[in-house]
Amino acid sequence: MSTAAIVTRPAHGRDLQVVLAELLKLDHIIGGFVVAPDGLLIAADLPREVEAEPLSALAAALGRELELRGPRLRRRQFPTAQFASVSGSAFLGSTPVGYIVLLGDPRADWETVRFGLRGALGTVYRAWAG
Amino acid sequence: MLFAKIWHWVRGDKRPPTSALALRQARRLRDEGRYQRAAGVVDKALLRDPRNVAGHLLAASLHMALRETRSARASFERVLALEPTHPRALLGLARIELEDGETAACCALLSRALARYPDLPEARAVLEVARGLLAPAHAKRYATPNVAVEADRLGLPAESREALFARADATKIVAVPHEPGADAVAAQAVKLSKVAAAMLGRAGLGPLRHAVIESAAETTYLRLDDTALLTLSFDRDMKSATALRHLERVWHRFRSEFA
Repeated sequence: MSTAAIVTRPAHGRDLQVVLAELLKLDHIIGGFVVAPDGLLIAADLPREVEAEPLSALAAALGRELELRGPRLRRRQFPTAQFASVSGSAFLGSTPVGYIVLLGDPRADWETVRFGLRGALGTVYRAWAG
Repeated sequence: MLFAKIWHWVRGDKRPPTSALALRQARRLRDEGRYQRAAGVVDKALLRDPRNVAGHLLAASLHMALRETRSARASFERVLALEPTHPRALLGLARIELEDGETAACCALLSRALARYPDLPEARAVLEVARGLLAPAHAKRYATPNVAVEADRLGLPAESREALFARADATKIVAVPHEPGADAVAAQAVKLSKVAAAMLGRAGLGPLRHAVIESAAETTYLRLDDTALLTLSFDRDMKSATALRHLERVWHRFRSEFA
């Protein structure tokens, strides 16, 4: 790839810490992180009591499972997913760089978070893909 | 000696970069998202310096970023041939074994890592999931119909494309439409739910209750407890609130129907 191609890439979306910080402004989101497919933590802002490394290792494993097979054993891209308990939810989005994970309290609304997450995924795709 | 030094100086940048320089360049390319080029630089460096552990680890990381699992496995194996208890290589290879359904091999690698480095929380977290997949689930007994059940009898929503109800140990109870691969689908859904449950637990959010998974063509809704699991798939256009209401209704119906 030429240097010119790098320069013309949109800068917005390349700094994943900034992307994450924007998503953390969504209502009822209490933390989040970005993890590479090999489990390496890229960016994180988590509640103090949450240990980042085990969480990111599991998120990467979950992201790979979803990418590889999904719940119906079909290989395909998954844009977003929500995993909910009575105490809150984890929201996952897939990008070429890795997975964006947001943690929400029980009031975090799936449609709102999905909309925000999809916007962020698009920004990251445009900045990183290719 | 002096002549040799002058000769090297004259050759200047035609000399191949040292491994350290090449790996630094590769890391910079990786950080720019240029994974293919970074992998090419690492491959060249490793041709010159095939015992470079950092190089093989970087190659593995790049292959994972490119979703080239087979190549990543080979790189992790090369690291372990050089350093048999390298924690990142053991963890990386263990995760690939988990992906491939080789759960016992995954457990063995993680146990090896933890025996050498007991304070490796990410290895402990993945090991808990892997052991959970190996252990038989203490699932409540549900009746398994001997014949394909008619969809009408189950009260499935008309909009639903597929439904699967399985025990927590991944034994299929009913699948609509009835397909030969339904047992594998049940096993995959259970595996997915166990990894997700472990992640929620680590995040301090408690047991997994339901999931919504989007894909290009459809959205799959999953409901579970510690005895059983239900998946329902709908077109992507379906409103999630409506789909979740269907999910809850079918979940209660199936649990009473097959208990």
